[in-house]
Amino acid sequence: MAYSFDFTAVAQYHTQLAVGVGYTLMLTALGAVLGVTLGTLGAVVRAWRIRPFAQLFGLYVELIRNTPFIVQLFFIFFGLPALGLRLGEWQAAIIAVVINLGAYSTEIIRAGIQAIPRGQIEAAGSLAMTRTQIFRHVVLQPALQKVWPALSSQIVIVMLGTSVCSQIAAEELTFAANFIQSRNFRAFETYIVVALIYLALSVGVRALLNQIGQRFVVKRRPA
Amino acid sequence: MNEFSTWDILRNLGFGALWTIGLSLTAFVLGGSAGLLLLTARMSKKVWLQRAARAYIEFFQGTPLLMQLFMVFFGIALLGVDVPPWLAAALGLTLFSSAYLAEIWRGCVEAIPKGQWEASASLAMTWLEQMRHVILPQALRIAVAPTVGFSVQIVKGTAVTSIIGFAELTKTGSMLANATFQPFMVFGFVALGYFILCYPLSHFAAHLERKFHAPAH
Amino acid sequence: MLLRIDGLHKHFGANHVLKGIDLRIDEGQVVAIIGRSGSGKSTLLRSINGLETFDDGLIEVDGERLYAGQTDLRALRQKVGMVFQQFNLFPHLSAGQNVMLAPQVVKKTPVAECETIARAMLAKVGLAEKFDAYPDQLSGGQQQRVAIARALAMQPKVLLCDEITSALDPELVNEVLAVVKQLASEGMTLIMVTHEMRFAREVGDKLVFMYQGRVHESGHPKDLFASPQTPELQNFIGAIN
Repeated sequence: MAYSFDFTAVAQYHTQLAVGVGYTLMLTALGAVLGVTLGTLGAVVRAWRIRPFAQLFGLYVELIRNTPFIVQLFFIFFGLPALGLRLGEWQAAIIAVVINLGAYSTEIIRAGIQAIPRGQIEAAGSLAMTRTQIFRHVVLQPALQKVWPALSSQIVIVMLGTSVCSQIAAEELTFAANFIQSRNFRAFETYIVVALIYLALSVGVRALLNQIGQRFVVKRRPA
Repeated sequence: MNEFSTWDILRNLGFGALWTIGLSLTAFVLGGSAGLLLLTARMSKKVWLQRAARAYIEFFQGTPLLMQLFMVFFGIALLGVDVPPWLAAALGLTLFSSAYLAEIWRGCVEAIPKGQWEASASLAMTWLEQMRHVILPQALRIAVAPTVGFSVQIVKGTAVTSIIGFAELTKTGSMLANATFQPFMVFGFVALGYFILCYPLSHFAAHLERKFHAPAH
Repeated sequence: MLLRIDGLHKHFGANHVLKGIDLRIDEGQVVAIIGRSGSGKSTLLRSINGLETFDDGLIEVDGERLYAGQTDLRALRQKVGMVFQQFNLFPHLSAGQNVMLAPQVVKKTPVAECETIARAMLAKVGLAEKFDAYPDQLSGGQQQRVAIARALAMQPKVLLCDEITSALDPELVNEVLAVVKQLASEGMTLIMVTHEMRFAREVGDKLVFMYQGRVHESGHPKDLFASPQTPELQNFIGAIN
């Protein structure tokens, strides 16, 4: 083949790549914290059937889960200014990620809550715990433990999805890749390298979430 | 200055949606076939085949779909061939879907109790006969719901192909938004279009999920 | 001699589970293998049709030899049938289809003939009228009888029974044992791992007592039960009675 690969043409842009990685991770971290918080709220409202919020959250979950992230992002970034709501690319990206992850985690956490056996709640009630105490210690805590792996997977999926934020000029990792390949004319090499960086981020973020899960969610000392 | 009526917008989006449907079906069928091959490799007794399949799956599940599309697009271009966007889109989505479907189906095959393998082995069946007559018919039953569920991911995934210039629903929407200066309405319609395609599939998957505990025949 | 086992050894990691088993079984014999859990009796039985691999030794069934590490088991398995503790019927097939499947797929017997065989085998275990019933519509005892019919349809030279009554409710045990007893009277060679001592004594021709991976004592059941030679067998019988 006439073509010879040249990866040094990518390596010289390591600063841009590092900045891109930083922004991608920041977007993911912020999105994960706020998104899971929103999801927890949604799950509680859904599980307790608090009207009319339960129905509203139900509609929200269906709307988000049945439309592509990129369309949600475009709607927020390009569409909302028509209502006078003008957002910067980072504001739009963060809002889109939070709304997206919020919907998925609502469903994931709700499934965890509904899997808690009734007997556990009755047992806690018989120990004279209040409704809030029961919910916090007997329902939410074990539910989160149970669904933490599913939640972690969803966070990784969302991180990979943020790749399309390059389209509204948010300068995350894919934006860096697009910039680099426009300079070095080595598109294939650039995207392979960046894909591998994403792969490493997936593995890393998954491992990190595992650690977080064991330390803060499960709170179980090694036996 | 605005010569587009709402009707014009809807009609154009409708055409885009047809491409979305076509691409989704292509990716589902081709991705499913490739996924089946991948599943066989992943469950093979040959260690190198197993490892290769695992590496493939991890790569496609651990990188953004957009990167995969770019790699296909610019990768084929290296061969000196001019790549039409639809080809890169179909190929990229096929690779992507095959990895996910293979992994979903592997979970279903592994959910079949060990006793089924042992009983069929004790009847002198070969691995292929066991798969064909005993394991797959049972695995297929539990695979239907998650497979339909994943088809929703494929439909949504097609939206990313707009970035490499495939004129499906999202790309059509972007072009219309630019031409009409009505992004709120256009992207609203685009979202609605995806919802109309995806919601019935999601609903059907959930329905199948509930039916799953019914008797096995 | 129908079945010969010579110097069979097996390790599970560092655990030496079979420590040199030698066994001879003649055509038509009914052999009961007894012993505590972990004595290796189930592993021994499962080695005979290759469900467990072994590290050293030889198994020969009706001229068909099986060596350590052998992977082609098709010929051997056509001569050795097996019935499992958990029945392991194929849930997506009716009782009749369960019995028909192997002759059809493995022996390439024409479908019509397979159906004749299946009906005959189901009749033999007293379930002629359950041809179209699915496993989840049958009681445990009925499922186990279908499993026996399924194994018999391959016309094996020997039938291995791995604790086939252990998963059954007490009131269903006898219907299964009655089928086994009838097979024994028809001259079927049977090797069973079992906890049914009374059955072993009444129907068995040979009793094999396994202890820590070895055949500790063997002989005619009536002799062994009447006068066990080793303290371990005395203990075992004592613990059961």
